[in-house]
Amino acid sequence: MTPLRRHRALTRIWASDPGWKGWFTTVNHTDLGRMFMFTAMIFFVVGGILAMLIRAQLATPRSAFMGPEVYAQVFTMHGTIMMFLFAIPLIEGIAIYLLPKMLGARDLAFPRLTAFGYWCYVFGGSMLLFAMLTGLAPDSGWFLYPPLSSTLGSPGINSDFWLIGITFVEISAICAAVEITVTILRFRAPGMSLDKMPIFAWYMLVVALMILTGFPPLILGSVLLELERAFGWPFFQVAEGGDSLLWQHLFWLFGHPEVYIIFLPAAGIISTVLPVMARTTLMGYGWVVAAAVALGVLSFGIWVHHMFTTGIPHMALAFFSAASTLVAVPTAVQIFAWIGTIWKGKPQLKLPMLWILAFFATFVIGGLTGVMLAVVPFNWQAHDTHFVVAHLHYVLIGGFVFPVLAGLYYWLPHLTGRRRFFRLGEPAFWLVFVGFHVTFLAMHWVGLLGQRRRTFTYEHGQGWEAINLISSIGGFITAIGFALVLIDIAINALVTLRGRRNPWGAGTLEWAMPKPVPAYNFASLPPVRGREPLYDDPGLDLRIARGEGYLGDPGDGRRKTLVVDIASGRPEQVVVFPSNTALPIVMALVTGVAFLGVLIKAFWLVPLAVLGVAALAFRWVWSLGTRTDEGLLDAGHGLSLPLASASTRPPGWWGTAFLLVANATFFASLLFGYAFLWTVAPNWPPPAYLEPGLAGPALGLAGIVLAPLGLRLAERLLRAGHAMTPGLAIALTGAAATASAGVLAVLASADPQGHAYDAIVRVIAGYVLIHVVLAAAMSVYLAARRSAGFVSPDRYGEVRIVRLWTDYAAITALLGLAALHLPGALT
Amino acid sequence: MHPAGPAAEAIAALWWVMLVGSCVIFVLVMALLALALRRSNVEGRGDGSEGERVWLVGLGLVFPLLVLLALLAYGLVIGERLAPRDGPEVVTVRAEGRQWEWRFSYADAPGLVTEGVLHIPAGTPVDVEITTVDVIHSFWAPRLAGKLDAIPGHVNVLRIEAREPGEYAGVSAEYSGPGYLDHRFTVIAHDADGWAGFLRGAAP
Amino acid sequence: MRDVLRVFGPFSVWFACFSAVYGLHGLVCSERWSAAGLSLWDGRLALLAACIAAVSIQVGVALMLRAPRLAASSGFTQSVSLWLGWAAVVATLWSLFPVVVTSTCT
Repeated sequence: MTPLRRHRALTRIWASDPGWKGWFTTVNHTDLGRMFMFTAMIFFVVGGILAMLIRAQLATPRSAFMGPEVYAQVFTMHGTIMMFLFAIPLIEGIAIYLLPKMLGARDLAFPRLTAFGYWCYVFGGSMLLFAMLTGLAPDSGWFLYPPLSSTLGSPGINSDFWLIGITFVEISAICAAVEITVTILRFRAPGMSLDKMPIFAWYMLVVALMILTGFPPLILGSVLLELERAFGWPFFQVAEGGDSLLWQHLFWLFGHPEVYIIFLPAAGIISTVLPVMARTTLMGYGWVVAAAVALGVLSFGIWVHHMFTTGIPHMALAFFSAASTLVAVPTAVQIFAWIGTIWKGKPQLKLPMLWILAFFATFVIGGLTGVMLAVVPFNWQAHDTHFVVAHLHYVLIGGFVFPVLAGLYYWLPHLTGRRRFFRLGEPAFWLVFVGFHVTFLAMHWVGLLGQRRRTFTYEHGQGWEAINLISSIGGFITAIGFALVLIDIAINALVTLRGRRNPWGAGTLEWAMPKPVPAYNFASLPPVRGREPLYDDPGLDLRIARGEGYLGDPGDGRRKTLVVDIASGRPEQVVVFPSNTALPIVMALVTGVAFLGVLIKAFWLVPLAVLGVAALAFRWVWSLGTRTDEGLLDAGHGLSLPLASASTRPPGWWGTAFLLVANATFFASLLFGYAFLWTVAPNWPPPAYLEPGLAGPALGLAGIVLAPLGLRLAERLLRAGHAMTPGLAIALTGAAATASAGVLAVLASADPQGHAYDAIVRVIAGYVLIHVVLAAAMSVYLAARRSAGFVSPDRYGEVRIVRLWTDYAAITALLGLAALHLPGALT
Repeated sequence: MHPAGPAAEAIAALWWVMLVGSCVIFVLVMALLALALRRSNVEGRGDGSEGERVWLVGLGLVFPLLVLLALLAYGLVIGERLAPRDGPEVVTVRAEGRQWEWRFSYADAPGLVTEGVLHIPAGTPVDVEITTVDVIHSFWAPRLAGKLDAIPGHVNVLRIEAREPGEYAGVSAEYSGPGYLDHRFTVIAHDADGWAGFLRGAAP
Repeated sequence: MRDVLRVFGPFSVWFACFSAVYGLHGLVCSERWSAAGLSLWDGRLALLAACIAAVSIQVGVALMLRAPRLAASSGFTQSVSLWLGWAAVVATLWSLFPVVVTSTCT
């Protein structure tokens, strides 16, 4: 087969639908990565315009341009858009676009999930844009502190838009994180062991795990605050046993890791681009990996440093002050690894390198002011002033936007397949760099002089006029610079000549494919022996095209790629991907209806939409797998591998496992909230604790034992060739028992509006109830799959997935049971 | 940045130390970066493994650990010193925030309430018990001390002290809605006679 | 998966211990502590004990990573996880030393 014929055959298999329809049915990571990035850029422009409105308002004292109400919406939306609708989705887009190409796979682990995540992002983001255009945007600051954001301070619908829209967008982040994790761990080129992974993949692995554990606390916070706003369950109202500090803990448990979720991918881009620009390899690969991991986890231990002024005792402040200074160490390791890389290489001052140098100058300042703010007494003075605003822009623009622009210019030939011809990028760079420093250096100073953030104007004669005016002028220069960057990218993407395949002389696999990128990425999957496969074998791209790698035979017309062993990268299975479908967008729409129902208080919509989602999810998973045992498939190079769907741990098992990591973090945050209220909230203990009784615990415990046992019995029966029915029946009985215990707890917490205790008992019981019902539904699904022939004595991976859910439900039920009944039993 | 009390003075000193230190570190890093960029024209260096030790262990690990240890210790010592401790002559007042005004009451003169103006004796440590009746606010008299939040249901205690009699501006420093900008107060520090007169004259 | 757990494990344990000590501190300074008839000195002792436990656990993790039975499949992940193991011990000492030097609940 000639390379051209192979290309045509593979394109037929992998191509998205032609025309406009393709936008809605594509599940291809290249398409969706681009769509993510493009949409994020649109939000960047919107957020940037809001920033300019802010600087226009603050340019002169007593400006009549905006009143406090409009200004509140503008600064809230600026922060919200930039953090949630620009930065995180842009990272997801970059990762979705690049990772399979760098790792040597043909797509991400769960293609339809990519699409579902994208549409959730679009719909959630649209809700917020709609709110802004109708003047109903959230207006209590991007971190939405109650009671100001609750019914007391914001009776209107404004805060609801934030809570609903952002939670919707976070679903998209969780989806992306699950699949990035599974892709990095299992969807790599044959032979790419962990130590041979591109450094960007290590960074993204850390980031994806951080999203899985960092976002759930905020999702929980949003759920609780929405329950308070919609039904009056007083989680954050002190008079009824709540505490507004709980929100701050949940928010910053998310909010601090969030900063590193944004910074680490940018650091990954630098670690990838900088060595190529310096024509060498990264200094201290292992050190950088260790630093990224340490930084990622450390960033969770410092959430309280956003709360230094909330009256927390000095010892606790000292813990977090110490931990906060500690994050400077892995950061320093990375900074010096990069400078060392330049030192050992021969750097070229091309445009991506300029942006990286701008990163150094900016981020180091941001890091140093960060260390200053980590010192508690200084924080007491600078907190909530423009000093903090300046600091965070140094970190986020210097540490995120500049490296991302370096990356964008670096991968531009890859994205467009064209050479950069028009040199608008260089003047744009200088405008942004100079404008940025003018704006924010000035802002540090005015912050130290006492200008508070979020004040819509200031008086004459405070000595702030000149500084603010300089800052505003700098801001407009920066904006012009960014506009030029976007124009530069647009014209270079649209009209210039075709470029070479590997213009920078890079070593990673994404440069080993033709441009424009084919839908299937690699005509055959290349065996990998080093970190820079293209340096090891300069002719690799041609050999890939000639089909000399694995899975080079287009074969039976199914979309196929390899699944490898996590540590060694040894090929283990062949996975078959689903093809184009509108299912993701439909499911995202129906999910959106559920959110909309809560937003407009049409609660009857919610159960209908949930049923719809359940039906769609049923269709979603039903289409996976095969009805026959296919045995071993030829993967090329004389290697025969089984289908992944026939293995005991199919990709879906891994996806489930990491989804449950996020889910468990959610539940742990809930238990933390309960314990927090119990220790700290002023109006505790509640009038009465739950009376344990006998029925609840007994039913609960019986179910907790029965359901996992039933699933294990079912698997044993299946593998012995018998019917699974007895095992599943036991599992369902167990589920019914646990569920009735859950219902008893819900009924016992009679007054969720009267005291936060009853409210949180209801939430815990409700959480367990939902999971038990879900696991039970999966058991029923399993019976259907068995009778349809998808599950057989040799193909029982799905039983393992259901077992995972059942075990998880049982564990949460056990913890929930203990949490609900212990206080009552002890007193 | 015109400190008028021990707390604000200590923090201002801390700031100047950190600013100088940061500038030195910034210049150092930029110099190393420039050095790396220039040196790279020189041919014939090793495989970089000896470089790893200098760059990563020396500069990446040891250097920041030493600097941070010193800074952290300094910060904690100041933090301990600023903490409200029992003393013989501590005056206690109460600040209650609401949208958008501050009400102050005085332990030494029960029943006395002032709105928007906090009276304190100069040269004496004062503990301000801070709370709120509605949303979160923050009590901040920049020239006297750092800020501390007013959280519903909680009472936070801030130690302030004015060295000299005089008027000091104060603001709320946590966004609280449309009236946030003008949510201000004034601290008036009296000399001994003035303070006694204030307590006497206003008390019933 | 073992390699991945080895790499992410040590600092995750640090986070768990750190949060637990912080949680204990919250309890010590809350009304529940005094309601149970315990003094601040008891609290300081409890915190010290918790810190010693945290450091021991962390050292235990670092030593456990050397065990041949849990060895990583490549020299790379083996050495990276060993570094991280000891780095996490340093992080524990660093972030918990305020228990010894600062005042408890003010």
